[in-house]
Amino acid sequence: MIWASLRLQRLQLLTLLGTLVVGAGVIVLLRSNMIDALDSAQIAHCVRAADQCVAPDGAVKAFRTTWSTPFETAQLLIIGLPALIGVFIGAPLFALELEQGTHVLAFTQSVSRTRWMLSKLVVALVPALVVLVVLQHLVGWWLDAAGSLGPLYNGPFNRVNFAIQGVSPLGYALFAFALGTFLGALTRRTLAAMTAGLVAFVVVRFAVSGLVTGSVFAERRATAVGEVPEQRESGLVLTTGWLDASGQAVPSDRASVLNQACKTTPGGSPNTEEGYLACLRESGFAQNYWDVIPDSRAWQVHLVDVAVFGVLAVVLLAGTTWALRRQS
Amino acid sequence: MTVPRQSEAALPVFAQAVGKKYRRGWALRETSLVIPPNRVVALVGPNGAGKSTLMGLTTGMLRPTTGALTVFGDQPTGKGLHPAVSYLAQQKPLYRQFTVADTLTFGGRTNPSWDQGYAEHLVEQAAVPMNARVGTLSGGQRTRVALALALGKRPRLLLLDEPLADLDPLARETVLGALITEARAHGITVVLSSHVLAELEGVCDHLVLLHDGQVLLAGDVSRLSANGMSLGELALHHMRAAQQGVAA
Repeated sequence: MIWASLRLQRLQLLTLLGTLVVGAGVIVLLRSNMIDALDSAQIAHCVRAADQCVAPDGAVKAFRTTWSTPFETAQLLIIGLPALIGVFIGAPLFALELEQGTHVLAFTQSVSRTRWMLSKLVVALVPALVVLVVLQHLVGWWLDAAGSLGPLYNGPFNRVNFAIQGVSPLGYALFAFALGTFLGALTRRTLAAMTAGLVAFVVVRFAVSGLVTGSVFAERRATAVGEVPEQRESGLVLTTGWLDASGQAVPSDRASVLNQACKTTPGGSPNTEEGYLACLRESGFAQNYWDVIPDSRAWQVHLVDVAVFGVLAVVLLAGTTWALRRQS
Repeated sequence: MTVPRQSEAALPVFAQAVGKKYRRGWALRETSLVIPPNRVVALVGPNGAGKSTLMGLTTGMLRPTTGALTVFGDQPTGKGLHPAVSYLAQQKPLYRQFTVADTLTFGGRTNPSWDQGYAEHLVEQAAVPMNARVGTLSGGQRTRVALALALGKRPRLLLLDEPLADLDPLARETVLGALITEARAHGITVVLSSHVLAELEGVCDHLVLLHDGQVLLAGDVSRLSANGMSLGELALHHMRAAQQGVAA
């Protein structure tokens, strides 16, 4: 049965191989060109910290202008691949057979439907995931070389950066593929499954990725009122606010009223800096706090992301199995 | 469901009050039927009589609404066809992008009882080029390839749903001739469905006449036409009677 699946999906597998070879070649070439450009502009040392490096006038800006389009294209490729896998590999996988009636041919040989389904799933999914992961890591390798002169400057929690890093692309691809196969098995119409699959994927992908970033990995940092915090670690700040003397967060509506009140003196003129801080302390504000997910914990958020999309994918694949195994 | 007795287990098809209801109504009403071994069976009836439904129930593509049906003693499920049964659907589904040779390889990979030499012999006999793509073949050639795929499995029961429907008269004759030769030579029970009895008269030795989801007539041809009436007349006579029964 594996043979039949390989033979049936030969064109698709060759397309994937072509995508991999061309994609990898272009990325390797662009990366080496970029490194040459960094060297000739004498800004190679700026890769570590673009804001603090000493560089020829305008060189950093010129580099960013030139390279932003290739960077964005590469990011778009990794963001778009899961959707393409779902639409062009997942959706037609069963829909095309059901539409053309060739599933009858498969179902009336001495092979169980489950085996038929599994062999098709594996042959379609595994090569696609391999291509995606390899290209994702090649793009990552290239962007790493650009460091803070490239998109990584925006940190791992930037929406685009988050979507192309860690195990997240794998989760999106699994989900898109499972969604496509499920809709294909259910509707038995290739075009309907492709269209509905794309729309549903985009909607769910954006709805769920918002939920995931607000997850459980935030750590609370606090400084006394009026104290200037030392260099804040970089990360995703989820909430900020005030703590009272007992360490409890002051409700935000009350805090904003009190804060507003402290900005003016009882006489009505704008308050001084000292007066403002003293007023805050009198009002019961002891500390500033902010809840932050440090950059170093980004991989954990990626794990939550892949778990959410993975569970959705498993549910959809179970639905596909049900749709294919039922006798009408 | 009761386990069939030993004698029933040997029967190619044994149906007990089997019925199938679709959303639009009953396609097959409680039908009890026996297909005895070593026969060429004509499954005849007008369009919509329930021929394809009966075939679907026998292959396990459909699940009966009522009753039960066994094929060589086993109840068909969705877990693949019984190894001793081959089925050729009305549309003769084949992978269009496969070559003829690929199609036979597919048969070999999906059937433990596959006889590659025999299947190749059947394709050669039909003079279909092995390296031609299935999508480029004529209707008659496609049918011959589909038949080679069905027979290469070395079945004891071969189910053919309207196998001659999209063939020209000459191709009909050759396909039917080749089929009956193979069936007689290897003791295969063949069930052919058709809405035209005339094209099966002379080759079949057992008749099942379906009308409006019910069996009107079933039995060996030698017994049914004992009074000298031709098979066609006999069938027409029964169907007219059934029609009048409905009208009255």
